[in-house]
Amino acid sequence: MSLRQIAFYGKGGIGKSTTSQNTLAALAEMGKKILIVGCDPKADSTRLILHAKAQDTILSLAAEAGSVEDLELEDVMKVGYKDIRCVESGGPEPGVGCAGRGVITSINFLEENGAYDGVDYVSYDVLGDVVCGGFAMPIRENKAQEIYIVMSGEMMAMYAANNISKGILKYANSGGVRLGGLVCNERQTDKELELAESLAVKLGSKLVYFVPRDNIVQHAELRRMTCIEYAPDSAQSNHYRELAKRVDANAGNGTIPSPITMDELEDLLMEHGIMKAIDESQVGKSAAELNVA
Amino acid sequence: MPQNADNVLDHLNLFRQPEYKEMFENKKKNFENPIADDKLEAAREWTKTEEYKEKNFAREALTVNPAKACQPLGAVFAAVGFESTIPFVHGSQGCVAYYRSHFSRHFKEPTSCVSSSMTEDAAVFGGLNNMIDGLANTYNMYKPKMIAVSTTCMAEVIGDDLNAFIKTSKEKGSVPAEFDVPFAHTPAFVGSHITGYDNVIKGVLEHFWDGKAGTAPKLERTPNEKINFLGGFDGYTVGNLREVKRIFESMGVEYTIIGDNSDVWDTPTDGEFRMYDGGTKLEDVAEALNAKATISMQEFCTEKTLPYIATKGQEVVALNHPVGIAATDRFLMEISRITGKPISAELTKERGRLVDAIADSSAHIHGKKFAIYGDPDLCYGLAAFLLELGAEPVHILATNGGKAWAEKVQKLLDSSPFGTNCHVYAGKDLWHMRSLLFTEPVDYLIGNTYGKYLDRDTGTPLIRIGFPIFDRHHKHRYPVWGYQGSMNVLVWILDAIFEDIDRNTNVVAKSDYSFDIIR
Amino acid sequence: MSVAQAESIEDIKARNKELIQEVLKVYPEKTAKRRAKHLGTFEDGKPDCGVKSNIKSIPGVMTIRGCAYAGSKGVVWGPIKDMIHISHGPVGCGQYSWASRRNYYIGTTGIDTFGTMQFTSDFQEKDIVFGGDKKLAKIMDEIEVLFPLNKGITVQSECPIGLIGDDIEAVSKAKSKEYGGKTIVPVRCEGFRGVSQSLGHHIANDAVRDWVFDKQEGKPARFEQTAYDVAIIGDYNIGGDAWSSRILLEEMGLRVVAQWSGDGTIAELEATPKAKLNVLHCYRSMNYISRHMEEKYGIPWCEYNFFGPSKIEESLRKIASHFDDKIKEGAERVIAKYRPLMDAVIAKYRPRLEGKKVMLFVGGLRPRHVIGAYEDLGMEVIGTGYEFGHNDDYQRTTHYVKDGTLIYDDVTGYEFEKFVEKIQPDLVGSGIKEKYVFQKMGVPFRQMHSWDYSGPYHGYDGFAIFARDMDMAINSPVWKMAKAPWAA
Repeated sequence: MSLRQIAFYGKGGIGKSTTSQNTLAALAEMGKKILIVGCDPKADSTRLILHAKAQDTILSLAAEAGSVEDLELEDVMKVGYKDIRCVESGGPEPGVGCAGRGVITSINFLEENGAYDGVDYVSYDVLGDVVCGGFAMPIRENKAQEIYIVMSGEMMAMYAANNISKGILKYANSGGVRLGGLVCNERQTDKELELAESLAVKLGSKLVYFVPRDNIVQHAELRRMTCIEYAPDSAQSNHYRELAKRVDANAGNGTIPSPITMDELEDLLMEHGIMKAIDESQVGKSAAELNVA
Repeated sequence: MPQNADNVLDHLNLFRQPEYKEMFENKKKNFENPIADDKLEAAREWTKTEEYKEKNFAREALTVNPAKACQPLGAVFAAVGFESTIPFVHGSQGCVAYYRSHFSRHFKEPTSCVSSSMTEDAAVFGGLNNMIDGLANTYNMYKPKMIAVSTTCMAEVIGDDLNAFIKTSKEKGSVPAEFDVPFAHTPAFVGSHITGYDNVIKGVLEHFWDGKAGTAPKLERTPNEKINFLGGFDGYTVGNLREVKRIFESMGVEYTIIGDNSDVWDTPTDGEFRMYDGGTKLEDVAEALNAKATISMQEFCTEKTLPYIATKGQEVVALNHPVGIAATDRFLMEISRITGKPISAELTKERGRLVDAIADSSAHIHGKKFAIYGDPDLCYGLAAFLLELGAEPVHILATNGGKAWAEKVQKLLDSSPFGTNCHVYAGKDLWHMRSLLFTEPVDYLIGNTYGKYLDRDTGTPLIRIGFPIFDRHHKHRYPVWGYQGSMNVLVWILDAIFEDIDRNTNVVAKSDYSFDIIR
Repeated sequence: MSVAQAESIEDIKARNKELIQEVLKVYPEKTAKRRAKHLGTFEDGKPDCGVKSNIKSIPGVMTIRGCAYAGSKGVVWGPIKDMIHISHGPVGCGQYSWASRRNYYIGTTGIDTFGTMQFTSDFQEKDIVFGGDKKLAKIMDEIEVLFPLNKGITVQSECPIGLIGDDIEAVSKAKSKEYGGKTIVPVRCEGFRGVSQSLGHHIANDAVRDWVFDKQEGKPARFEQTAYDVAIIGDYNIGGDAWSSRILLEEMGLRVVAQWSGDGTIAELEATPKAKLNVLHCYRSMNYISRHMEEKYGIPWCEYNFFGPSKIEESLRKIASHFDDKIKEGAERVIAKYRPLMDAVIAKYRPRLEGKKVMLFVGGLRPRHVIGAYEDLGMEVIGTGYEFGHNDDYQRTTHYVKDGTLIYDDVTGYEFEKFVEKIQPDLVGSGIKEKYVFQKMGVPFRQMHSWDYSGPYHGYDGFAIFARDMDMAINSPVWKMAKAPWAA
């Protein structure tokens, strides 16, 4: 098969890395050759595949060696579960330097050194929000073809999903990137499935899968394993396998997203009864003030 | 009053007059809080010592007087070599003012280049609008046939995507959809000006050969008998490219010079300003895919371009700024091997003349010690020539040289008995060189204009070969490649040696005995 | 009617209008609208020149402007000779501005003086990604080891510093403390800030205020103060300009305690709040610090112009008016002393230059300041404009230009070329980027930033050189050779 490049985006803490690694592990089970490119400065996109706390990152090794030109591919690439190849871009600690530039540097290095040769899937795991041009590197032309947004029924996760769609839209017009769909990671909020499906429709996309919540995922994580590897026969693993199948079958089915306004997003929440209609006279008033009134 | 209407004194003489000297003395004494003379003298002497050299070489963070510039300069150098092409640098505008000034100071010629003038708002929101407006303005005002886009570090840090930006600009009608806008990302914090040259040449070739960023079919290669030639970043490009053309023509070889900026930096004064002149024709750039082979005159300027060309099925040959007999021999023999055409009698005769000149003069160069600094390939080429002349290139320094370069030069030194006591310094700067010139002195220094500070500090006469040359005129018009170019290099070295001897033997009744009329 | 032969003021104004309309035609509509505001003709009696200024340059038009870094490192701070100025960021900015501005100084370069050296942090990719503060701290340590006689350090920020959020202030403070209170000045002059060099001047001025003056609070002067202490502000000593100015001030009895910043030292910067009067040449680049010293220390400031005898005379009297009779007499003595020299210079050069027309495009003060010098030689400035002037510059310009002068703010390469082509002046005065364009066209040219490697042009000694150079440019035999005799 020709090389497929996908990316997982989503708000921080949403379970993006867990979802992506389980999905990719399931794809590997299907016999796909996979390369994971972690683009989050936290460098936690490959730990479940490698059973490692943290992988040496391209940027930390480059800083030690002098420059990225001094690195060899073998120095930065590790092989984990089912021969999944793993690299982590890495980056500075929070508050210094430019993590976005780090993403550009790393991806350029990987491409120039043939990291993508002989691979079926390249998956980019990207920081919560497209905060600058650097974090958009994976969605530039000839990079990821489809983006999967990991979200949940929480307001902020949906807000982030909408924002990421804006980023994709920007690049979709000039390049080939498309929104593959939403993956909802159950948080057990009210009417979560319904909401996720409605948001997907509003964004001109679809809900690819609704991953139910199961503590087995946490058990696996404590052992630095994917659920697929830790408990292959579990129901949860089958959910990830189904998600993987749908991703695999989704080639070329991505859409140009139609992000919505903040008002529309609020309307959506109200439609589903998550948020009550706002009484404008109460906006900005403290509890004490409201009591007086 | 020192000034005089009949004989106007300018800065050269005015400030040597007693009124000014007294004023300087008072300013220093009363207001400058000067360092005491003995302390100053002690510090000055200390910088000449082995101890200072060690501390100097222990530097890890500070760079002082580097012999390199940044990528975008090389990008502009490459871009102006194409027919009616204007370089468009995406990022802060001050950078472009600097590149234009830098080239104009070297070539004494105009250098046309535009900026997308990104400011604080573009730093936050990205520079897409600057690209959209900028391309439209440039296209309308300067009527180019091609706009070659590169970047400054600002655009690179915020991660602007040239490919996407150019596409969007075309959709918005800034330039026609079919108008050629090749691009290259050229971050200033990676490599040096030679990297920028490499990236832009590769970007232009990719544009024409690989389907113009998805807007046209990729070209299919149908091999022909032509040769492509890449000069690399070269301060002598005006003289060199003309010499190279003469060589190709003398051998009856069909050739394409990719990035021919020899005319745009040598336009006549005849009443007309030519913003564009000469340059590689755009159809020839496309056609260059079919060439039999590509010769790069400077390996380290084409580290990405040559492998890219090789993937198309062409043979690629990398030389290292050939100067002298053996290196020029190899250059010509490679052309001959590739094309099957013999080296012409004319060139063979020129070779003989250069050997003749070396035979006439080598006694004055043999055994002399030199320090060289400059771009990696230039250093290599000059070192090879000096070894050929029986001289010792004792210190060879390239601020933008890397490990591979150092190993290559070391191999060259190992190949000659004259290279035994010579050393290679990759990634070092001219303040390192200053220490070397004190602790391990040499007879002559070869480098660019900035070497004059080393000459002044260490008393090592400077022979100006390199880039930039700001303080001597018209050197860029002379070739340094080919046998004739090598002859120029030989003569410049000899002139310096003879002038030095004369300067040291011209004191009457003291050192007048070696002030020879015949040498 | 040929545009070159426009005679009456009304003709000239009509010609200018026509010319402006013509150049605007080349632009897309939006750009034409924006550029139209920067082009105009001076109308007598108006309070300014009728053009907008200090506005962002338009992308892609080939502006002549530079950046804030150039304004700080290149103009204000760079000439302070006993400090080390780190070009903080990638290698290029420092490289292109290395020793090219001709701010003359005297000192032992590399030991106690550092003016013509290029200190850079030579940023690499890893410095961008991980931040450059640790590297900067190490650089300062290395400077202390290798250049122990330096009197201070400035950090001249290049674009990436502001983008990656480095905290150069924290590094500077920590290192200053570590080195016993050494003056270490962080300057936030990233090139993308502002619209030209101009903001860099302002930022650099503010850095002097915050990191030099404030440290000196309450400290006594290093010298015994006199009633005649003045500081030269805004003279960068291009080709020795500040020196040929200083000599006149001293001759009239004043004592110059500081030069800002050509051939300047940190000691002189520190001493300036003790001066009695600041005399300001380049208003654009140093009015900020002059105003600050007026407000904070009560030091008045006085703008002057040392180009050409008429303006020098006027300026000497204006400066003297701030002092007692001794200085006023001194001024008259100086004027009288140099008058024969000036008469001789004018007698020699005016006949060769009479009636010649000049077009200028320069930086901070010269688009107006040199007009008097040309007029002393019988020449006429018929077009002028500022690279980075503000409205207050254009207001000041009204005192110099004649009715009908063509005004172009932040001129583009295209506009300047067309204006000169149509008007055919006898001389163009601008910068290195423009020089060869016009010379190719056969138009005599002088660089009016670097004095074309000549100078000084300030003061009486400088005027002789100015006159010689203008004559040399205009009357060079080369311009008659541009056309081949057989060419049509």
